[in-house]
Amino acid sequence: MHAISFTALLLSMLAAVGLTATAGMKALKDDFDTVALLEKGQILLTVVVLAVSVVLVQALVVRDYSYVYVRDYTDNFLPMFYAVTAFWAGQNGSFLFWYLCVAVMGCCMIYTPGYSRLDDRTKVYFWIIFFLVEIFFLFALTGPSNPFMRLDPVPADGRGMNPLLQNPGMIFHPPLLFLGYAGYTIPCCLALASRLSGGGREWLDLCRNWNIVAWIFLTSGIILGAWWAYMELGWGGYWAWDPVENASLIPWLVGTAFIHTAIVGRTRGTLLRTNVLLASLTLLLCFFATFVVRSGLIDSVHAFGGSRMGVPLLVFMIAGVAFMLYVCLVQRKDDVTRIDDFTSRPGMLFLASWLFLCLGAIVFLGVLWPVISTLWSANPVGLDAGFYNRVCLPLFAVLALIMAVCPWFSQKSGISDKPAMGLVLGVGVGAAVVIYALGYTQPLALFSSASGFMMVASITLYFVRNKAARAFLPSWGAYGVHMGVALMVLGVAFSGPYKVEGEAVLTPGQTMNVGSYEILFTELTHDHANPAMNSHAALLTVTRDGKAVGNMAPEKRQYRNFEQSTFAEVSVIPSLGEEIYATLLGFDEQGTASLKISVNPLVNWIWIGGTLSCLIAFLCWRKIERR
Amino acid sequence: MSTAKNQKWVYLAAILLVGTGVGYLLISGLSQNSVYFLNVSEALAMPAEKLTQARLFGTVADNGIEHDPSSLGVSFFAQDSDDPNQTIRVHFRGAVPDTFKAGVEVILEGSFTADTRVFEATTMMTKCPSKYEKNDKGQMRPPGSVG
Repeated sequence: MHAISFTALLLSMLAAVGLTATAGMKALKDDFDTVALLEKGQILLTVVVLAVSVVLVQALVVRDYSYVYVRDYTDNFLPMFYAVTAFWAGQNGSFLFWYLCVAVMGCCMIYTPGYSRLDDRTKVYFWIIFFLVEIFFLFALTGPSNPFMRLDPVPADGRGMNPLLQNPGMIFHPPLLFLGYAGYTIPCCLALASRLSGGGREWLDLCRNWNIVAWIFLTSGIILGAWWAYMELGWGGYWAWDPVENASLIPWLVGTAFIHTAIVGRTRGTLLRTNVLLASLTLLLCFFATFVVRSGLIDSVHAFGGSRMGVPLLVFMIAGVAFMLYVCLVQRKDDVTRIDDFTSRPGMLFLASWLFLCLGAIVFLGVLWPVISTLWSANPVGLDAGFYNRVCLPLFAVLALIMAVCPWFSQKSGISDKPAMGLVLGVGVGAAVVIYALGYTQPLALFSSASGFMMVASITLYFVRNKAARAFLPSWGAYGVHMGVALMVLGVAFSGPYKVEGEAVLTPGQTMNVGSYEILFTELTHDHANPAMNSHAALLTVTRDGKAVGNMAPEKRQYRNFEQSTFAEVSVIPSLGEEIYATLLGFDEQGTASLKISVNPLVNWIWIGGTLSCLIAFLCWRKIERR
Repeated sequence: MSTAKNQKWVYLAAILLVGTGVGYLLISGLSQNSVYFLNVSEALAMPAEKLTQARLFGTVADNGIEHDPSSLGVSFFAQDSDDPNQTIRVHFRGAVPDTFKAGVEVILEGSFTADTRVFEATTMMTKCPSKYEKNDKGQMRPPGSVG
């Protein structure tokens, strides 16, 4: 099956190249009757990639170690669930998965009402660009990133999956990101195709639902990644501004800016070029994210281009940027970039988009700084997490304020509902005074949390005072997402600066204090019943002012095949207020345990807000009439 | 509705406001949060007084690993990943990562103490040597994960 799968992908690539060339040649002669052919081609590509994916999953399930990929990411003891998810655990499989998502989404596109409204010219351009993206994937899968490599002789057991990945959060984090990345292919291709074929702003309506779906996937992937970092890595932190985390944040920031400029574009008919540019930039940044993760650029510039995918990705991105700039700047120049007034709703959306783009540019700059700095420094200079906190957090805080006041601006100019705006500002000032009085005095956190409360008040008030909004489902979606964001703002503003931590080495019976909590270490237990791992747990009892709060059992695990390393399994006492979080750092034969305990105020509101945002965003979906 | 002239001013003011704000933040961030990214041999080649804040890339040497009894810290030699003869003594205080052991690649943040020639690390991240994504240089990293 190795050779068959590989050949099928290779033939797919040749077919895609053939179709693109045929359609391109005909398009040059103003002949656009290739639509049906291109659609059939897309269906064929999808069938092939589905079939080879089944082959790979099957091989993972039966642990067919004649595949290098199966040997590298599974072993005989890996639970079935994780064996299936090994599909996207490694580079080669994850490229196949990404391509699978792109192909399936392309196939779905054919049957959407939005697609039926396109003219033949736009359809042909759409498929040409779409096929070019698919050809890149097929090139990767048949060359530098082939998941069907044969291993000979066949080993009896595999190398196993990295224990850090054996966690539900990590299992769904990568596929959600890839679904998001794949989803952005459609708005990008549609934007460029529509621009090339002389269309106006209609494409914004047609790709709206795709844009929302891609955003939901990407957002949920990022939030799940943060949750995984918090729960599995045992650092007690959810965002470390690591280059790998930042890489997926950049397309998210630009994609989010695009959602907002698209609203201005749809309602006011302006920002035409900006929207095409942002739609395509978002997709290119998805590739950039993969480039950062896969090229070796991240942890040391010395490994630049280390992986075999680095150069192909770089070439693809440069070609993509050139094409995008050609379409947006050279090919057609007409545009209206006019905002009537900044003190209007479109003005606020525009300003928010600017801030999102600024944030995207800053994070991009930060990730690439070690490379850029070699222009003037003999040794690369990088930026630590403090840089991002200092530069990005104030901008996020300003965004929160904009979100709080935006609903009260009118479409044209000025404030539409002055009493409501006054009330919201009053809530902000009141919240700030109360929070300050409670002892939370860090200025930026104070500003952000007050803005968070203003957002909650503002959105609630908007629905109370606005009957039209209540009756319109997509506005529940849009404001619901912002409500989720408000909760996340509050979660970050408190859990970031006001987290309390303590580390101690305890013998059974000893206690330590963290914040206002007392933690008693009762005993160290050992569990070796599970054949796949061997774990030690520290049993802890937490009290506050003599009252029981709960028990915790942070573990240290040794997984089969990874005996030389131990992995911490954190334990928490979940709370909507202060969550207590424990990591077992180490232990010895005498039963002494080194522990790290932290108290994280309001941290769970981040996950609640994030979940709300991602789920309720589906309500933004709008029905498009078939033509 | 504002006139075209007015609008230009509003634009300019907005750009200026956002521009100066972002510019100020950027410059203060770049000036205060820049750190050198160095491998061991590069760090050895630099004058110690310039290394007040650095991120060091190296491999944990086989000899000389001393765990603090509390397991809340460790001292070891970091050797250059390409030239094992170049080493720097590292002292790290804090929670030692699960995957720390001889032969793993580590990323350290901290500063050089000029008189003792010891790198005082405040954070340490490790890369697991055998089970991760392989690239051409033989380095390993977890797919899509941190560090």
